[in-house]
Amino acid sequence: MRKPKERSAPYWSALGCVLSVVAALLFQAAPTRLIEGITIMPTWPLMVIFLWSGLRPYFMPPIAVFAIGITQDLLTGAPMGIWALSYLVSISVFRFRGEDGMPRDLPPIVLRFGGTLLLAQAIAFSAGFFALGEMPHLQPLIIETIASILMFPMLAFLAVRRRRGSRSGFIGG
Amino acid sequence: MASRRTARHDAEHGVRFSRTIFIMLIVVSSALIMFDRPASRSVAFAGFRASFTDIAAPLLELAAQPIRAVKGIGPYFRMQGDLAAENAELRQQLIEARYWEDLAYRQRDRIEVYESALNVQTQATQDRIGAWTVADPRGPFVHARLIGRGRNAGIADGYPVINLYGLVGRVYETGERSARVLLLTDLNSNIPVMVDRSNSRAILTGDNSEYPRLQYLGRNPDIEAGDRIVSSGDDGVLPRGLPVGVAVPTRDGGWRVELYSDQAPIDFVWVWPYVPAVIPQREEAETASAEVETDLPAPAETASVEAGDTAQPATEEGGQ
Repeated sequence: MRKPKERSAPYWSALGCVLSVVAALLFQAAPTRLIEGITIMPTWPLMVIFLWSGLRPYFMPPIAVFAIGITQDLLTGAPMGIWALSYLVSISVFRFRGEDGMPRDLPPIVLRFGGTLLLAQAIAFSAGFFALGEMPHLQPLIIETIASILMFPMLAFLAVRRRRGSRSGFIGG
Repeated sequence: MASRRTARHDAEHGVRFSRTIFIMLIVVSSALIMFDRPASRSVAFAGFRASFTDIAAPLLELAAQPIRAVKGIGPYFRMQGDLAAENAELRQQLIEARYWEDLAYRQRDRIEVYESALNVQTQATQDRIGAWTVADPRGPFVHARLIGRGRNAGIADGYPVINLYGLVGRVYETGERSARVLLLTDLNSNIPVMVDRSNSRAILTGDNSEYPRLQYLGRNPDIEAGDRIVSSGDDGVLPRGLPVGVAVPTRDGGWRVELYSDQAPIDFVWVWPYVPAVIPQREEAETASAEVETDLPAPAETASVEAGDTAQPATEEGGQ
């Protein structure tokens, strides 16, 4: 009885992954400042990359991470390669490895995401300094980091909850 | 359970973080950062970026629609109590605006008379191209916005962009259906401006902060806090007199500008296809000098004329 559902599940997950990536990129670039009260924006693409690389590592190979980074560069008008390099390095350093993959408890996930985020922002800052020839403004990076750390537990909670409800015990690689 | 686990593990095995691909992509990213610098961006890179924004613009426009739909909700609930007072204030402003409207019409008629007398061809103000902001990404590197109109609508690189309150920035990376606007606050933005009261010149330089700096003001600049800053038009790219902002002194003795365009979120903007007016005297002088040059004899002829010979024998001699 479960077989057909099992086969179709990866496709639904793949669709979910693609849609969440597109939504994250669009939301990052959208003119949300028009809505009163929304003045800060977390790093949505990094959150999505981090969670999917934990939930379904085969959905987030290096080329996908690179493509998401380049797309963000092009959408935001930043020099190409900044976010691509930043995401590639930070995800490769902090992604979940081993047989167990992403843990089922929230604190270690949030902690690891914090490390990923800080490394990503540090690389982006350095690369931006090199590309622009001037020190990028630090304030937006700090605001983005704080907003991401505040927002991430909610997304991670949803992801972990979904994992707890899933049949398979093994997720990750 | 075991078989399912093995199957998935096998499936993952082929698409794991491959070290070779990873290193290759790191090299590509680094190369892109090196060659795609805003200050020295090649035409090919700029073209690629513009083509990408052309493709992304319709999707971004679609994503911006719900945001535009809900943008008024916040102020609506907040300002219900202030509506009466605001209404009275607006009526007062309308009365004052009527005086300025009348003055503007008179000035327009006057300018038309001058232009006709001097035979100056300037762009009419109604030629501005309206455009909606489709992307407003915020970040530490570039302060730019994407608008949903491009070359198809007559937009080109360098055109000034204004909103209801003042100058927003300049167009760069123009695609067929989209264009990016470099804001005055961006690191790469340098605009010649002047103090409206004293005509003191300066360069408005963005540094990615909310208040761009006023540089090259001179040793004893005639500037005061609250002075109105407008574009000077000295670069020949921007028209003169576009409202920019208000002068604000800094603690270190410098000056910054509080931008008029930041009074409200930038949603709808006008792109001004500004073409600098040709100064008639210079044009006439150039035409006249060209005419004189064509009438002048060739150097050999000139030499013979100076020697007292006629042009005809000299030519004949030269020909022989």
